[in-house]
Amino acid sequence: MTNTSAVIIMSNTLQALGLKRLLSDSFSIDAAVVQHPSDIIDCSDSVDFFFTDAEHFVAHLSFFLPRQSRTIVVSENSATTAEQTHIDPTAPQERIVEALAAHIKRTASDANDGNTLSQRETEVLRLVASGCINKEIAHRLNISINTVLTHRKNITAKLGIKSVSGLTFYAMMNGLIAPQ
Amino acid sequence: MKHLIGIDSKLCDIVMAEPSVITVLDRFGIALGVGDKTIAAICAEHGLDRDFFATIINTYLNEDYFPERILASMDAQLIISYLQRTNAYYEQFQLPNIERHFHLLLGKSDPSNNNLGLMMRFFGEMKAQLLARIADDRSRWFPEVIELQRHAEHATDATIDKGFDEDSVEDKIDDLIHMFVMHLKGDYDHNLCLAVIISLFNLKKDITQNNRIRNRILRPLAAALKSQQP
Repeated sequence: MTNTSAVIIMSNTLQALGLKRLLSDSFSIDAAVVQHPSDIIDCSDSVDFFFTDAEHFVAHLSFFLPRQSRTIVVSENSATTAEQTHIDPTAPQERIVEALAAHIKRTASDANDGNTLSQRETEVLRLVASGCINKEIAHRLNISINTVLTHRKNITAKLGIKSVSGLTFYAMMNGLIAPQ
Repeated sequence: MKHLIGIDSKLCDIVMAEPSVITVLDRFGIALGVGDKTIAAICAEHGLDRDFFATIINTYLNEDYFPERILASMDAQLIISYLQRTNAYYEQFQLPNIERHFHLLLGKSDPSNNNLGLMMRFFGEMKAQLLARIADDRSRWFPEVIELQRHAEHATDATIDKGFDEDSVEDKIDDLIHMFVMHLKGDYDHNLCLAVIISLFNLKKDITQNNRIRNRILRPLAAALKSQQP
């Protein structure tokens, strides 16, 4: 098994178990299947991605929106989320595996490149650039202030930029926020 | 640490070994064409305090050298006068020079690439902050420290320079340099880019060296003068 961690939060048990099997067989990922986001809230920071269905996504927006970049919605209808985070459960197996591979590769390259921000760091950077203070960021992402500080320290180490103003311009340069 | 220069050192030898020192000479009103005269001779010609001049040159050239005791014993007016000339150098030469090259760089770069435009805006923000600090030095902090020294009994609450809650100028210059070195994208004029980044490095070095005089000499000196008030 890899060190990549995944959590499946879906109401359809067979879909959840089928996805768990696919992740295990094709990617050596041992995904956890849970019933509710609150079951993994304490360790959600260490989860690389979440799989959920449209019903859970909408019902728990406050949980999934801050983690949107790490969330894949399993749904026949892609309208609920961006295309790259959507998987159609009715598609042929090879198409589903291809879609999963693309997302996992993107996540892995984020984690392996020392100078590239992880998805969570990107989320923190976007909030810093939007003018949020550490307390607000912690609240929005459901993480502790210490975790926010650790992310900010890592962002500065990777980018070489420490001022809030510099980070804001960096975010604009890289399309993370709209130019002001 | 490099060898320290003394008042018997020839100024031309110092400049040949460390060309960046030319900008400091300019602040003392010393133009090029120094012949082979010693520091003592040139200071006598220009009416400069030769020990102070040698100390400033040594402090500028050596990051590891900071004669705190010697500088602290010097007249506040002398230190302030040097810092004023340093501020004037930033204001009248260094910042306009970077800005001019930045404009040219922007004009010769791919217009569809917005990165340089945003970096120029970031430079503008840093420049405005540095100019605000210089204005505060000129209109408030420096006059008040001089006033404290002359008439301690009439001084106002002026011992500490105005604090800035926002990101420091130094951090912003450093960030801008990192943007060039690490994150620059797209097509751009390499020569002009080099001109901008070298100027930014020079500004950073200059401010870092002079911050030691601001923070470790003038600020404690002002605090000591303040504490002598009745």
